[in-house]
Amino acid sequence: MPVKILKIEDGSAFILERIMYTKRYTLSLDRNKCVGCDLCVVACPKEAIKIVNPSDLADIENQPKKITVKVLDDKCNFCGICSEICIFGAFKQSVNDEEYIPVLKSESFPRLIHDVEVDESRCPIGCKVCEEACPLSLIKVKWNGESGGKVKVEINRDHCPVCRICEVKCPYNAIHTRKMISGLIRVNIDLCPEGCRACVDACPIPNVLSISNDGKVNVNDSFCVYCGACKNACPVEGAIDLRRVSVHHTPVKSGAWNKALERLTSTENMAKELRSKSIFKTYESVKKLHMRSRVSK
Amino acid sequence: MSDKPENEDLRIGVFVCHCGLNIAGVVNVKEVTEYAKTLPNVVFAIDNRYTCSDPGQEEIRKAIKEHRLNRVVVAACSPRMHEPTFRRCVAEAGLNPYLFEMANIREHCSWCHPSTPKEATEKAKEIVKMAIAKVRLLRPLEPIEVPVSPTALVVGGGVAGINAALELAEMGFKVYLLEKNESIGGHMAQLDKTFPTLDCSICILGPKMVDAARHPNIEIISFADLLSVEGYIGNFKVRIRKNPRYVLEEKCTGCGECLPACPIEYPNDWDMNLGVRKAISVPFPQAVPLVYRINRDYCIECYKCIDACGPRQAINFDQKPEEIELKVGAIIVATGYDIYLPEEGNLYGYGKYSNVITSLEFERLILAAGPTGGHVVRASDGKMPKVVVFIQCVGSRDVNKYPYCSNFCCMYTLKHTIQLKEHYGNDVEAYVFYMDMRSNFKGYEEFYYRAREMGVNFIRGRVSKVIEDPETKNLIIHAEDTLLSEPIELEAEMVVLATAAIPSKGIEEIARILNVTRGTDGFFMESHPKLKPLDTPVDGIFLAGACQGPKDIPYSVAQGCGAAARAATVLSKPSVKIEPIISVVDPEKCRNTKVKCGICATKCPYGAIKAEPGMPAQIISAMCHGCGTCVAECPADAITQMHFTDAQIFAQIEAALESNPEDKILGFCCNWCAYAGADLAGTSRFEYPPNIRIVKTMCSGRIDRDFVLEAFRRGAGMVLIGACHLPYDCHYIDGNWKMKARMEALSKALEKMGLTPDRFRIEYISAAEGSKFAQVVREMAEKLRDMGRERIIAENEKLRPYLERMLGRKR
Repeated sequence: MPVKILKIEDGSAFILERIMYTKRYTLSLDRNKCVGCDLCVVACPKEAIKIVNPSDLADIENQPKKITVKVLDDKCNFCGICSEICIFGAFKQSVNDEEYIPVLKSESFPRLIHDVEVDESRCPIGCKVCEEACPLSLIKVKWNGESGGKVKVEINRDHCPVCRICEVKCPYNAIHTRKMISGLIRVNIDLCPEGCRACVDACPIPNVLSISNDGKVNVNDSFCVYCGACKNACPVEGAIDLRRVSVHHTPVKSGAWNKALERLTSTENMAKELRSKSIFKTYESVKKLHMRSRVSK
Repeated sequence: MSDKPENEDLRIGVFVCHCGLNIAGVVNVKEVTEYAKTLPNVVFAIDNRYTCSDPGQEEIRKAIKEHRLNRVVVAACSPRMHEPTFRRCVAEAGLNPYLFEMANIREHCSWCHPSTPKEATEKAKEIVKMAIAKVRLLRPLEPIEVPVSPTALVVGGGVAGINAALELAEMGFKVYLLEKNESIGGHMAQLDKTFPTLDCSICILGPKMVDAARHPNIEIISFADLLSVEGYIGNFKVRIRKNPRYVLEEKCTGCGECLPACPIEYPNDWDMNLGVRKAISVPFPQAVPLVYRINRDYCIECYKCIDACGPRQAINFDQKPEEIELKVGAIIVATGYDIYLPEEGNLYGYGKYSNVITSLEFERLILAAGPTGGHVVRASDGKMPKVVVFIQCVGSRDVNKYPYCSNFCCMYTLKHTIQLKEHYGNDVEAYVFYMDMRSNFKGYEEFYYRAREMGVNFIRGRVSKVIEDPETKNLIIHAEDTLLSEPIELEAEMVVLATAAIPSKGIEEIARILNVTRGTDGFFMESHPKLKPLDTPVDGIFLAGACQGPKDIPYSVAQGCGAAARAATVLSKPSVKIEPIISVVDPEKCRNTKVKCGICATKCPYGAIKAEPGMPAQIISAMCHGCGTCVAECPADAITQMHFTDAQIFAQIEAALESNPEDKILGFCCNWCAYAGADLAGTSRFEYPPNIRIVKTMCSGRIDRDFVLEAFRRGAGMVLIGACHLPYDCHYIDGNWKMKARMEALSKALEKMGLTPDRFRIEYISAAEGSKFAQVVREMAEKLRDMGRERIIAENEKLRPYLERMLGRKR
């Protein structure tokens, strides 16, 4: 029986389905959430994801306005790495309608750590600074009753890229965040074309990039999530220098992760991680040996 | 011309066969015999009812002794049929077997000219005359004896191949069993039950597969491709590429610990894509050899399998394809069949409607170890269907698709209906739409009876269309009951298509590598449909199983064992005799001593000729395959092909064109394709005008420019060259290409001299294209008639001076 691959695409979604007799694999991309960065493109082990410009998608219904991605149906093998790497939560992978990422189960890919923690005991009733500050409107602050009750801060973590704006804005030091990627970003303003604001428009976080009074691009590194959307939008090669240094993750031993890490950061940074892993391993085994010798004594 | 036997007293005996009424019913055999007697050097001529029979052969032997015959001509069937028989017969009477020639007056005469007996008799006379002309110049030859390597290669590890390998191994021969897939077993391993006994397929095949794997004389080479085969009977050199599994065969224990570690699943094509397998896996649990394979198309290289494999260290991502070379004495081809998937055009909605499946997919559904655990369920909703409709002959017995009957579909459909009834009883209704139910082997009719007793509904009629109800995903069948002559509309919940069995994917490649002919149906063609069902035209290569046509399991097993016996007849002898029809160089004439020539060496498809500067060219006889291309290419006529010398062929041309040449078409046909195609035209009784005379060469590469020039010089009306199809069909690698280059240049030159282009034709006719051969002759004869004798005679007169000049060096 021919393997049925179903592709549904429009401006707001891209759905790839592999329908088999007993199983149905679905990979769906929410294009409203997709910011047109290259995290998934770089992380995909089968090079199945491609960046597409709105002009390439002229023939689909309600053509998207910004850069987005598409999945090549002949290359995708439904491993789910894209769905784990996407910090905006634009990808969802499921098998028979149940969310399922096979590479996480087998530890072929780490769980990537990015989190926002709120110490609600510090929150006074009536403060909504974080809710108002969140550029993606993912925070809802609730409390029961007008006075005296407990404050509850609900954060939609699935889609939160952890830009830290809420943490910085919080007047009570109640929010602590952990970014997934650390790195650095610079803009070589000498290369910027006159009047161009492509990167500023592409950046999903406000105020990371801005145009200063002299018409040049200004970078505010502290809120950057290092997604690379600006780099994809930039018309000049080399104008934006984005370097990812490390990616926070649960420990795994996986070739697929090493390769993804190498592509996400650099060969040196991947080697650094491998080295620290091996040091840790040596340390662990020495410790074990030491313990054993002590027990035998 | 040279090459005349020195002062030999020629005593030719001619034996004209009636072949019952096959020849005598059309050709006046007595007249042909009397005519033969009038020809020079013929001292004895007689007609027999059946020359090939024991008394017929005895008569030849007696005549050789009594009349001191030193040349024998038998005018009967095709030399492809009985030449070996008569060669043996004359050898028994003490005559060199190469002093014998056959005149093909059955396939090339009586069978294809039934309505013109007078002309057929004339043609038969001339065919006999041509044979006598050749036989006069024949020389005794000694067959070349070559050693045999007592090993065999079986290509294809299905049930036929496994049985062939096991039989040969039991006889004590080393066998290489080559399989392109990861596991041997073939289609039979995919099946649930077998008809008519309903015993479990893998339960009876599995032990055989294991036997093959454990037999000390069998080496299974799986997941490998056949790259090339060179050589000849007893001495084939086979190159094989083993594809990388990225799991080391010698280290993998088949424990399967890597399986749960692997995160990636992909559709299992062995399961007809109904189920999935992991990126590291075996196609099915009983696979032999039980060696896992990593599919790098899907693998994300997380190396979790390496951890799981642990100290066994069987996984190696750096594995490269490996080429190996084997020397074998015989080859058995058992490459099987494929199932036609009517995706294109969505026949009966297959590929479009989710509840339309093929029988092989049904097989995987009803199999307890299959992807649904043996539950027949619908793809659309996972529910058990209440009404299942089986449609027979999908693609088969269809002139627009596959005109042949696929042999086993009726029986497996009966099996499926019985299985359905056994599983679900009266909860399910089964309908079979059939053209004819064919249940013609032991126990099969009883099986059909059983299905009817169980309440399966059989409706004779072809389904015209299947439409899906978009709501329920049920299927509305439109058909006509041809027994009641009334239309039928039926709502089914599942439709199962009994699709055609078709030549396996890659059969073209195998045919090209082995030089084995295929029929019009695409399956391999046997040497003789009745008497050599397992042989191919290539000595030492045999056929078994469904690669020759769809076959059920017992038939395939029988053929596997039969092919093993045929191969053993080669392997069991220390040496084998090969035909001494090789080329030899006359060092006196060879130009290479004086100038840098070496044309023969560059044209030889086998690299059998060495032409070192200053030395006459040398032919390595063990490597020469006897195509004769070098002979035709040699600019100094220094090379001769034994048994097909220039003089012999010129004598045939002369004999063919002695009377009324302008009415005749002279055909030069290669032995393997065009000549065999002409034979098939006769066997199929395609009638065509009787004005063609055929000269046989082994390869079209042998057809010299001089032959064509001589034919026109002698006034031939038309000349036809028949060769194997381009690009790959030539049995001598590329003789047809060399002929093409040579003849296209000649054709231009002739045209310039004033020859009407229609009068010289090159056609590529395969052994399976009898109808094409007949059609070509019909067309040529019509053009010949249209042109008229006068024009041809006038044109020939104009050409003659040029032709004589060009042929000057020949005389």
